[in-house]
Amino acid sequence: MLKHLHMTARQWKIVLKWALYSLLFLVTLVAQDVILAKHPIFGIKLTVVPLLIVCVCIREGPESGGVFALITSVICCYSGADYGNVSVALLPVCSILAAVFCRRVLTLRFLSTLLCCLLVLLIHETVILGLKVLLTPISPKNLFTVVLPRVGLSLPALLIQYPLAKTIHKTGGSHDL
Amino acid sequence: MKRRLSGKAKWLIVISVLLAMVISVLGALGRSRPGESFVQTLLTPFRSAGSTFVRQAERYYDYVFKYESLQAENKALKKKIVEMEDDVRSADSLQRENERLHQLLGLMEEHEDYKRKSAYIISWNGSNWKSAFTIGKGTSSGIDEGMVAITEYGQVVGLVTSAGPNWATVTTVLDTGIGISASVASSGYTGKVEGALATGSEGLLRMNYLPTDSVLRNNDQVLTTGSTVYPRGLIIGYITDAGLDETGVAKYAILRPAADFDNLEQVFIITDFKNG
Repeated sequence: MLKHLHMTARQWKIVLKWALYSLLFLVTLVAQDVILAKHPIFGIKLTVVPLLIVCVCIREGPESGGVFALITSVICCYSGADYGNVSVALLPVCSILAAVFCRRVLTLRFLSTLLCCLLVLLIHETVILGLKVLLTPISPKNLFTVVLPRVGLSLPALLIQYPLAKTIHKTGGSHDL
Repeated sequence: MKRRLSGKAKWLIVISVLLAMVISVLGALGRSRPGESFVQTLLTPFRSAGSTFVRQAERYYDYVFKYESLQAENKALKKKIVEMEDDVRSADSLQRENERLHQLLGLMEEHEDYKRKSAYIISWNGSNWKSAFTIGKGTSSGIDEGMVAITEYGQVVGLVTSAGPNWATVTTVLDTGIGISASVASSGYTGKVEGALATGSEGLLRMNYLPTDSVLRNNDQVLTTGSTVYPRGLIIGYITDAGLDETGVAKYAILRPAADFDNLEQVFIITDFKNG
């Protein structure tokens, strides 16, 4: 039975790559829940997990990156983060669109990833605020007092996440469908 | 890098998007999310390890960089203890007098008993629209939904809103979703305490439905009145401000929560209690 599980060196590298991505996601999720959520900066809690999801999706392309975005979004949402059910669909869809946009229009570099992450995070946080405004007494003014500072303060995390994702990507290479 | 997608890749993307939407809609329709307990149970050991490491690091940091402030605090606390010992002495004589009067009038003694389970906080909710945290104990330790979380000093922290085998989520009193029936200790006015997170007063509480003629003073203590969920006499907070509400037919008070949420590491869950 084990001989059916035989994998080539290239396949092992791909498995290693996704294992490292998963580890990076787990570390980021725990760091966000344990450290960043407890110690807000200027009263704002940072959100770094969506940044990693978008970063990996852009690097790996919309197909396998999209599957990664879907799985991690579900885990992130079910881990107790108050993003709401809409985030399970919104984050993968935005990540896939960002990856397609990056592939078709931009060149895969740090600045283009930063731009895509900024757009996805803005859309994600604004939609969640919009739903909160509709369903709870939260004021739309929070777009300027909470959402924009949250996006702005979270983006520098990409300075750590981007090189890590790039290094991990190099270990496994691409596996285009 | 500008490449076109193959047919297989397009199908994979379409399936991913559809699956994401199905999971999202199913989650929105159903009241509970079946995968939540599974994910939280898996994450708990990692969160516990992370929070233990962070707690140790914070203690080391405090020891190195906050030694002088701790010394000053210790001195102030010693002074406070002396004052409180004086209060206790006078309270002792008042208690004896109270007992004698109770016996004379034949009143039943009112008392509260509650069983507590201690638990450490392992993670905080990352949203700016919700105030909640996760503790490292759950249903296997006797902790369940609807139980009250307090500090070691009997200050209300929040309510257990979901629980799994080795985890439980506590929504704090700062959250808009929590409402507690409460009374002002010095005057007896009753009202409902709610989190003021949504109204822009982050970190504060709001006591609504107070009589318009109520006289409220700064630092008046607000306590739970007692219900099937909250035991009587738990400290919720202290009044810092008051005013007439939007309707003009009731008063509201802004409270500073009694529990220190910034330095909260451990909570006690009331698993069983008797009121009066």
